[in-house]
Amino acid sequence: MNENRKRVLLQGLFLLLFAIMFVIPIFFMFAKSISFGWQWPNLSPSGIDIRAWEVAFRDPRIYQSLINTVVIGGAVVIFNFLIATPAAYSLSRYEFKGKTMIESLLILPILVPVLAVAMGLHIPMIRLGLTDNLSGVILIHLLPTLPYAIRVLKAGFDRLNNDWEEQGAVLGARRATVFWTVIIPLMAPSIRSAALLVFVISLSQYVLTAIIGGGRVSTLPMIYYPFFSSADEAVIASFTVMFALLPVLFLILFETVCRSYLKILKKP
Amino acid sequence: MFSNKAHKFRPYLFLLPGLIIVACLVGYGLFSAIVESLSTPENEGDFYYYIELWQNNTFLQALGISIWVAAVSTVISILVGLYLTRTMVRLFRKDHWKFLAWLPMLIPHFVAAYLVFLLFSPSGWVSSMFYQLGWIGSIGEFPVMVNDPFYLGVIFTYIWKEIPFVILMLLPVYQEMDLRYEDVSRTLGGSKWTVFKTVEFPWVWPVSIEVFLILFVFILGAFEVPALLGVTYPKMLPVLAYDWFYQAAWVNRPLAQAMMVCLSIVSLFAAILILTFSRRWRKKWTVRREEI
Repeated sequence: MNENRKRVLLQGLFLLLFAIMFVIPIFFMFAKSISFGWQWPNLSPSGIDIRAWEVAFRDPRIYQSLINTVVIGGAVVIFNFLIATPAAYSLSRYEFKGKTMIESLLILPILVPVLAVAMGLHIPMIRLGLTDNLSGVILIHLLPTLPYAIRVLKAGFDRLNNDWEEQGAVLGARRATVFWTVIIPLMAPSIRSAALLVFVISLSQYVLTAIIGGGRVSTLPMIYYPFFSSADEAVIASFTVMFALLPVLFLILFETVCRSYLKILKKP
Repeated sequence: MFSNKAHKFRPYLFLLPGLIIVACLVGYGLFSAIVESLSTPENEGDFYYYIELWQNNTFLQALGISIWVAAVSTVISILVGLYLTRTMVRLFRKDHWKFLAWLPMLIPHFVAAYLVFLLFSPSGWVSSMFYQLGWIGSIGEFPVMVNDPFYLGVIFTYIWKEIPFVILMLLPVYQEMDLRYEDVSRTLGGSKWTVFKTVEFPWVWPVSIEVFLILFVFILGAFEVPALLGVTYPKMLPVLAYDWFYQAAWVNRPLAQAMMVCLSIVSLFAAILILTFSRRWRKKWTVRREEI
């Protein structure tokens, strides 16, 4: 009994620690964006004001950047799935010659500084017409994301019991049917993690977009960096909140798509 | 017969798109960086830019501060992450709390940098609180922890961001581990440290060292955080490389490429070393476990 109480107490302590470290700063930032006259050494703002959000949304560049960011992030997620799913499946289900070697090759992009690769690719990509436009930026964003997508999906396939697939096959389902109706729904948690991780990594890229986008492709980080040194703290805070909200919106959208897919599946 | 042959090639076929992308981007990117860095101005010898680089004081200072930041942030993140994981695994039997570790993963690095700035800059919230508590009398008395020459702000940001990463990497290890061995070790009179050393360490060690490698290399090569929270001198390596890359009509470009090529070579060697080691370690331990 006593042991149990101690345990609950410790659990509470951990959650509190977590809240102090991770949740409160985010709320703090939100408060900053809608505050006014919050200057040193005041511990709380003297009033509420949505001016910063107005400034942020009135800036014509931000609308375009927001769209670019979402388009690039979405495309990067889709390409990642197209490339990583078969790769992860293969690594998880087959034994073949050179597997260790191939696996190591595929994690190369997180072992080599991406900046080195981007600097090297700058001139070749100019020649191929892949700079200053969205397609080049999407391509280069595959670099820091692909290893993580493969890793997360592989772990998902590893956890998935082979029996379900065999049962489907025994019952006469075609491979493709088994894939779409058995594997994909069972993989939903891993798919969600991979999508979210990839989206956030793409959202966080400044230097790759700057080099390959050549300053022409404006994403949110492109506006954020110059803004950071400006004096208007509330505007930067509102920008920052936007960054924190985008993955959440993405998650909600993704979840809706997943749910409707499962619903369609369940209909005979 | 044919289907058998097709089956043999299928795994490679599935891996092909990923391999092509990685080979083209990383392979060609590094290749062309090497080619550009090996170019020599007229009347100069081979490896001109490499010799220049290693005699450049700005570069050496940047190298020093980068290693400092990467080492400190990585070691602290792993130690704290390891401690939190092993406590949480025992504390919470189910892994519903796993999403807690996911939450900070959703925050981009530069947002984390901004949070650190808001809290720890001289005009930040912590400084305000110190003033209210009477610990400091003016804004100038608050220690400079952001945009400081020791890169404390950058280190804070990395620790804040990487602890959840460490937890998510170590968690599967702890969930796979048979914690009953712990009881065995304890009943046989093992101290806390012996229990950790004999039961957890063989499992945790190879993963920890891989995580160390990933984080260390990432921090050495990442531009985003030091660009916001760093100082003009000394700069961290990626910031310096980016500066050189765009400076004065591209003349310093080969120098920036040379720096990045050196960094890549070191990273690759470290990776080969560590991955080989951790693979061997794992193999050895699985064999031992089977013997038992």
